[in-house]
Amino acid sequence: MARYGMALDYKNCINCKACETACKEENGILMGADKHRIWVGTGEIEGQYPLLDLTSNVFHPSQCQHCDNAPCEEVCPTQATYTDENGVVRVNIDQCILCSYCMNACPYDARYVDDRTMTVDKCNFCAETRLARGETTTACQNTCPTKVRIFGDLDDPNSEISEVLRTREHYSLKAHLGTKPKLFYLT
Amino acid sequence: MEVEISRRKFLQGTVAMSVVGSAALSTNLLSSSHGSSAKPGAVSFHNTKTGSDKGHDVATLCEMCVNKCAALARVENGVVTKLNPNPMFPKSKNMLCARGNAGIQALYDPDRLKFPMIRIGEKGEGKFKRVTWDEAYSAILNGTDKFPGLSTILEEEEDNRSSMLFCAGEGMAEHTFKQFYQAFGSANWLNHASICLQTVASGYGVTLGSYPQADLENAEYIIMAGANRAEAIVTPDTMDLFKRTKGRGAKMICIDPRFTNTSAKADKWLAIKPGTDLAFVLALTYVTFTEELQNNEYIETHFNSYEEYKNSVLENKYTPEWAEPITGIKAEDIYTIARDFAAAAPKAVYYPGRRSTFAKNDFQLRRAMAIYQALHGAIDTKGGLIFGSKIPLKAHEGLQPLYEKAKARAVVKSTNKEGEAGYDDCAVVSGGGSWIGWRNRFLDGKMPYKVRGMFCYKHNPMMNMPNTQKTAEMLRKMDLVVTIDTMPSDTVMYADVVLPECTYLERTDPIKTFGGVEPSIAVRNKVIDPMFESKPVMDIMKGLTTKISKPLFEISKKFDEEIQDLIDEDGEEEAYAEFDLTLPFLHTQEELNHHAVADYPGAAEKLHHDGVFYPKQDDYYKQLSANEHQYYPENKKSYSVRGGKPVTPSGKVECVIGSFASKGIDPMPVWRDEYEFSVPAGKFKLLTGRHAQFTQTGSANNAMLIDLMPENFIWINKRVAAEKGIKFADMIEVSSSIGSTRLKAYPTEKIAPDQVFFIHGFGEESEALTWAYKNGGNDNAIIEDTMEPVYGAAAMHETNVSIKKV
Amino acid sequence: MALRELVNKIVPIKEDFSIKSLLGFKKTPLNVLVFFMIMGLLLLLVWGLAQFLMHGHHAYNVTREHPWGLLISGYIFFVGTSTGLCIIASLGHVFGIKEFNHIGKRTTLLAIITLLPGFIIILTEIGHPVTMMIYNILTPGITSAIWWMGTLYGLVLTFIILEFGFALRGNHKWAVRLGIGGLIADVAAFTTLGSVFAYLVARPIANGPFIPLYFLLTAVVSGAFFMFMIYGFKHKLNFPEEVKITLVKLAKILGLLLAVTMFFEWWRIITAIYGDMPERADTMMRIIASTSFQLEVLFAMVIPFVIILVSKGTALKALFFSSIAALISIFLMRNDMVHHAQMMPMQMLKKTEYQLAPTWIEYSPSPVEWAIAVGALGVCFLLYYVAEKAFDLDEDDHH
Repeated sequence: MARYGMALDYKNCINCKACETACKEENGILMGADKHRIWVGTGEIEGQYPLLDLTSNVFHPSQCQHCDNAPCEEVCPTQATYTDENGVVRVNIDQCILCSYCMNACPYDARYVDDRTMTVDKCNFCAETRLARGETTTACQNTCPTKVRIFGDLDDPNSEISEVLRTREHYSLKAHLGTKPKLFYLT
Repeated sequence: MEVEISRRKFLQGTVAMSVVGSAALSTNLLSSSHGSSAKPGAVSFHNTKTGSDKGHDVATLCEMCVNKCAALARVENGVVTKLNPNPMFPKSKNMLCARGNAGIQALYDPDRLKFPMIRIGEKGEGKFKRVTWDEAYSAILNGTDKFPGLSTILEEEEDNRSSMLFCAGEGMAEHTFKQFYQAFGSANWLNHASICLQTVASGYGVTLGSYPQADLENAEYIIMAGANRAEAIVTPDTMDLFKRTKGRGAKMICIDPRFTNTSAKADKWLAIKPGTDLAFVLALTYVTFTEELQNNEYIETHFNSYEEYKNSVLENKYTPEWAEPITGIKAEDIYTIARDFAAAAPKAVYYPGRRSTFAKNDFQLRRAMAIYQALHGAIDTKGGLIFGSKIPLKAHEGLQPLYEKAKARAVVKSTNKEGEAGYDDCAVVSGGGSWIGWRNRFLDGKMPYKVRGMFCYKHNPMMNMPNTQKTAEMLRKMDLVVTIDTMPSDTVMYADVVLPECTYLERTDPIKTFGGVEPSIAVRNKVIDPMFESKPVMDIMKGLTTKISKPLFEISKKFDEEIQDLIDEDGEEEAYAEFDLTLPFLHTQEELNHHAVADYPGAAEKLHHDGVFYPKQDDYYKQLSANEHQYYPENKKSYSVRGGKPVTPSGKVECVIGSFASKGIDPMPVWRDEYEFSVPAGKFKLLTGRHAQFTQTGSANNAMLIDLMPENFIWINKRVAAEKGIKFADMIEVSSSIGSTRLKAYPTEKIAPDQVFFIHGFGEESEALTWAYKNGGNDNAIIEDTMEPVYGAAAMHETNVSIKKV
Repeated sequence: MALRELVNKIVPIKEDFSIKSLLGFKKTPLNVLVFFMIMGLLLLLVWGLAQFLMHGHHAYNVTREHPWGLLISGYIFFVGTSTGLCIIASLGHVFGIKEFNHIGKRTTLLAIITLLPGFIIILTEIGHPVTMMIYNILTPGITSAIWWMGTLYGLVLTFIILEFGFALRGNHKWAVRLGIGGLIADVAAFTTLGSVFAYLVARPIANGPFIPLYFLLTAVVSGAFFMFMIYGFKHKLNFPEEVKITLVKLAKILGLLLAVTMFFEWWRIITAIYGDMPERADTMMRIIASTSFQLEVLFAMVIPFVIILVSKGTALKALFFSSIAALISIFLMRNDMVHHAQMMPMQMLKKTEYQLAPTWIEYSPSPVEWAIAVGALGVCFLLYYVAEKAFDLDEDDHH
């Protein structure tokens, strides 16, 4: 029992996409432009060369925010989307009917259709792979060259993530929607 | 479960593919590439979800690029399902980049070379037939009706062993191949240096005596000029640099004509005109001198010809105001940088970089950078440039026989330069040679003797050096081309004999010692047995030499009087023992690796199990957090090993190198008018470079990486594009004086209006490469073969191109 | 014939009903045209269903960013029309507007035959319909609007089929009771379908009470247009007096509802734009600039409203033609609503280097999606034709 979350020191991100590749290899994700559990978003640069607006070119790693109040879970007609005992929002593919409601309800574009099972897939913090083996890191965190990600138990006051969230300013994506994300962007 | 997919659909991203056990991999023979192989619809990919059971991990080293980061390969039921970073290696510090993770796709690439093959079609046509290893070795020795073998060539060239060229790409097993070259007795060796870091390595080498590392972990002020560590990842530099940018550590000034991902993370990005970095460094140096910012104490003990250089800089008036119009960087910025750098010194780094030669003045630039760094005493110190220490390995014996008839290296002494020495196309001939110089001499018929064939190991001259057309012509003219590779590259298409090497995950490679602040030894252990009929280069060399050694000795016996004498003296058997090509390959790689670390108790076991070893590792190594590890305690790190003393023979920083003057090379860095950046109206300077998800052509066919970025696009300034009516993804033809290539447009403000850029490594012409074939544009089809004058290294940014929407 | 007798025991079938009678229509050019149209639509549907069975969702143009497409719109169109018809059917028996008594049976039938194509479509939209039936019961997601909507529509179908059966048997007491049940379930079901969108907190253009109310309102509008179309066909625009009275009344009700609908739209647009709230104002600006929205307003609202207003509801021929255009526009309206809810990307950054930054999400249905959504209309017409031949749909005068 834990309540897993992730803090992202996202300003360290250099858009190398190691995380995305590690995720795909670890979790056997299909290839194709739409098929990804996690990604790094980039803004197109603004301004005129050479006077460019550096802030417009952000590298922003994103994925399922593992909301405590997950809209995707709320709208699922068959309880295929559920929060597991570790606070991880997951999909039970046997119960998924592919009504796609969750894909529409997710404010983060975190869900997509796995073409093999034709069910909705999403980040599950490597729950079926690494966490199932008793490992304590996700593939994306482990491989990151600039160590953007800190994964851990939010309920454990001594965990690194709890420590960092106590001591550093951070924000969550679309927090105004009341989704209570468990991904935290460190500023 | 297997999903098949056509290339078109894949790139559109509408349908995807995945997951196939290794046994189910397509076993098409590439030779039938006109028929069944590789084309749309027949490709499956290996992408297996890892299991929930404890797996079996093998410690290995990545070979997706040159960095050699440590990886742990997870093996389940004989299938490699995941590559994870190995946290124990101080160099790569628990990271594996996108390419490292995608190594599995290199292993399970359905297009891999699977069997030995010999050519049955025309050269370059890519028609081969599958043969056994023995038949392949025989073909190398005796030829076929399509091409002559070694015996014919050496017979006709009267045992001139140098009539065979040997070339190799960078890699841990390059060593093994090089032993074959040495035993064979040729003098013609070409490696990647002259299309890679020759000028930077040598520039620092002659100035400081070594190509140093940068302690970015502790530097407080970093000038990143022409180095793109966010996209051209180097460990540990990339991690050290970006973990602490943006006000939480070092201040980073990025100097680059393009707005790169590194620029995006810099505190300040200064757009410089391509090829004018030397003017920028000279202006910095000028400020240092005029404002007395240098470290006089260090200079007194560790500099040669300091005054001469200082006078040159001052007399030439390399002021920031002078540099401003040349570089495009404001004078006030140059003043500020020079002052800030000096204030932070010795914890200040003018980053040496590690890349190809871009401009003709690159060697002088590197010298100026090295001197500038040294002026502040930031050499061999924490936070500056460091030499570090290295854990020695025990050498093993090689074989380097002398053949009387083997001619010296195919270079030509200069005849037209005034006074002294020098060579026809460059001043200095380095160990790795000048690739394009050599190639062009060969094509121009300027060889001092006939070179008739080549062995090419893990090397892709067709794609990796400027002027693809000329390389193709060279390969066509070679009587015998033997390639050893994992993939059916463009170069392999020109081979007469193709020997399939296994990938890095299927072989143990020569052990390597990694020097630096935190030195260690690491090894690439074999993860799974070689697939198909591929073999490690060690085994290939063993098989080949077993086949050819004796017959070639028979030829030498005929022409080589010294061998004849030797036989007369010692008898044939003993004489042959000195020329037995099989000798370097008698032991297995594992045995050789054991031998190399025999002096360190327990090291061999540790390396086998953990992949990494250094003395007192068990005491020092600690996991500090999920992301951080300690390798050495702070007081055991090798920041300063020589008290700042350079490694040059004189022990001093060499500002002036007199011997260069006689070769027509400036003995110290000075600016010359011809270095100025200029582009004819209507043309663009072509820039090329790296990308974090691709390693040149080596990863061009990697499905996982193509998934991240399907093809390269040409950067065109947005305003210029708008003027020309070019929109995003419009097809553009880019032409230079030597050729043209096509790729899609990416209008962006990240590049200047008079420059264009695209990533190197795309646009392959080998039809056997499903994903890479004609995918994007090939820069080397249009980069002119310009050489810099010192080492004959290819200068990549000296080409003007025109662009046209098609 | 045993089967006929068995069926007759449950509901009375016309004496002359037979396969022969089905094919024995007068071969007038119009009838032949309608015959081929229905056959064409059915063929289209069969092809679409075959494609769906072979390729599943791969046959559709729905994407990660735009997971709902034409099939959802088609579904809403049909079930919405059905709800409207159900409400109109109840005007007589349930609400006591006696001019509507005689159309009750036929309108109930129309509600059934528009609901069934809706169900066919939604079953092809759901990726795993069988799984749905199992887990809707085993693990009901009671916080899910889709679960409620599905369950309620199950009830609706049961109610209105029974209602129709009892009406055919002349059991008016039960027909009315079931009619009330059907009405409540249907209104609940369709507004719940509206809530599927209304609950989307991340999509300001859809989130809020508007859509369920708008659904209720436009359902009746859609049903009324459907009535005009069917009755126009049935009477070949020569309306008997009794029908004329009813239709004029219906036209007046429709006029009122259209006026309300236009005010709805007006205030939706103004409140969305006012204040320039991100993701709402910009989306609305794009909506009102789109051709399909303009067509929708023009043909489904303004033109019929003007016809009714000017003629005081008596221009039934004009209304017939206008209804056909209006129904097509309502199909557009449903499609617009579904698309508009998904138009704004949830993620505005580029995911690969060489792409344009995400802007408005585009969607155009695949041929298979078109085939199923439009082909389902064939089922609707076929069922109506069969029912017309099989049952006595006109009300007796005995109550």
